[in-house]
Amino acid sequence: MRVAEKTTHDAGTSATAAAAPSARPAVVRPRRRRGVNREGLEAGRRGTRTLLWILLAAAMVLYGFPFLYLLFTSFKTPIDTIAVPPTILPREWTLENYTNALGRNGVLASFINSIQTAIISTLLSLLLAVPAAYGITRYKTLSGRIFIMAALVTRMVPPVAIGIPLASMMASMGLSDTPIALSIAHTTISLPLSIWLMASFFEAVPKDLEEAATVDGCSRLGALWRVVIPVVSGGIAVTAIFAFLASWNEFLFALLMTAIRSQTTPVVIANFQTQFGLDWGSMTALAAVYSIPVILLTLLLQRKIVAGMTLGAVKG
Amino acid sequence: MRISDRRFALFLMTPAALFLAVFVAFPLFRLVADSFFKISPIAGGPRDFVGLDNYVRAFASEAFTGAGWRTLAYTLVVVTLEFALGLGMALLFTMLGRSSQIWRTVFMYPLMIAPIVAGLLWKFLMIDNFGLIGTLLHQAGILSNPNQIGWLSDPNIVLYSVAIPDIWLTTSFMCLVLFAGLQNIPGDLIEAARLDGARAPAMLFRIILPLLRPVIAVALVVRGIDAARAFDTILIQTNGGPQSASETMSLLIYRTMIRFGDPGLASAMGTIYLLAMLAVAFFAVATIWRPGKDT
Repeated sequence: MRVAEKTTHDAGTSATAAAAPSARPAVVRPRRRRGVNREGLEAGRRGTRTLLWILLAAAMVLYGFPFLYLLFTSFKTPIDTIAVPPTILPREWTLENYTNALGRNGVLASFINSIQTAIISTLLSLLLAVPAAYGITRYKTLSGRIFIMAALVTRMVPPVAIGIPLASMMASMGLSDTPIALSIAHTTISLPLSIWLMASFFEAVPKDLEEAATVDGCSRLGALWRVVIPVVSGGIAVTAIFAFLASWNEFLFALLMTAIRSQTTPVVIANFQTQFGLDWGSMTALAAVYSIPVILLTLLLQRKIVAGMTLGAVKG
Repeated sequence: MRISDRRFALFLMTPAALFLAVFVAFPLFRLVADSFFKISPIAGGPRDFVGLDNYVRAFASEAFTGAGWRTLAYTLVVVTLEFALGLGMALLFTMLGRSSQIWRTVFMYPLMIAPIVAGLLWKFLMIDNFGLIGTLLHQAGILSNPNQIGWLSDPNIVLYSVAIPDIWLTTSFMCLVLFAGLQNIPGDLIEAARLDGARAPAMLFRIILPLLRPVIAVALVVRGIDAARAFDTILIQTNGGPQSASETMSLLIYRTMIRFGDPGLASAMGTIYLLAMLAVAFFAVATIWRPGKDT
């Protein structure tokens, strides 16, 4: 019985495919046979596949090595860090570089600043982008089209061009050297990106959903808040991660707009180079501590993030 | 008391639009305005209107034209290499199919790393004396001396060396976008080409690349804009040196503003830079992308 069903199903799909060769094949998944005759570009022959796996392994080793070397170096003794010739693995594993780096004045404070700035910027970004993106996609007005183009142009503005005027604006508002000022600056970067991302997520929500809600007596804002937002909560999470990363990793605005009080960790890492001579060991340790949480977070949430990245780029 | 849909849409967009107007458009306006003044770097110092003098000085200075060419060369190298590598990886992942999924994720890891950390990490690999790359090449017998190539100290090659972290950081992005594009190519189209006897190069150049065109265009434009603004990675590796050989536009503007204390000149340079970027981006979008109808 099952077999029969399957056959008819297959016959049906192949007929559709034959009738409309240009149709999107997303629904038409030909059955896979093990080893041979894979779909589309996928390699079938075992020999080819082995070769491809070897190629992939080589690429992954090359690509992963720089960061692994940073990690290994961070566990060397401060002297071995700059030994000539260098070794790949530490001769002696120690946490000395970590205790040195984290014990330095201002390092822990910079972590708190980084977290604070990134959280404020993420919240601000979402608060502004979610309604704006909804207004753009749901009502397709002329102003919406102009606005999303303007957001696109904003992305082309070199930060170095607006950094100084922005810094003097913040100073005149009495906000200089505060996490608030820096997070506002970071939001100028993440807001356009967040608007695009959210717009593509809202695009996927069927209109009938909030129409039904408004018929039931919900206001339009109520429908957005109670019906649409829960549906796109996954998209909001992805957008939040992107806004957070944009702020967490940002350097130029942080360099221009912060002094001692609100300095974020990227600036501190860069300062190791001048302020304390060339302290490579501490620098590698701090860089590792700063990068690993976000790498782990990403690997944990990988599916969602990959989806968001491609969406943002392909939609662009 | 129901406002029209159009008003409501406007109401939703207003906060974001106001934010961008105040914190992006206004500083840009200040930038353009400052470019017509000679400004003392001391706060509250004199401001004298000098007309186009700053622009004349910018175009007359070798530092500015040099930085322009270097920015162009840097952008072309970065985008070309990461496109080639990204496409290679995307094809590799596609040909391996679903079983490569975990590795696809692992391949994304540099995207999460701060550019400043990436720059640092590559500087550590390429630096003279205790840099690992020179040592490994020496041990492999390729170089007679670990310092034979001065990755970051030879003015002839430094511009390409400082591009490496940028390429390393964002090849993953290229790969990701192109991979997504490859998944949308109908399998039967590939099948048909294969039955017609298309070999690998024909398959790539006659079928895959033309079909990927819109995706490629977006990826190149997005990455081109980013590469042309590169700052963090270069600052940490060489600070624009030696002898300004790796000084790109962002660095030059930054130094003119901060080190040389000439905000007027820096603003003029920034304005020219911004206009050039907008012109190139619009040209690229108009010719290769052919913008879609929606959004």
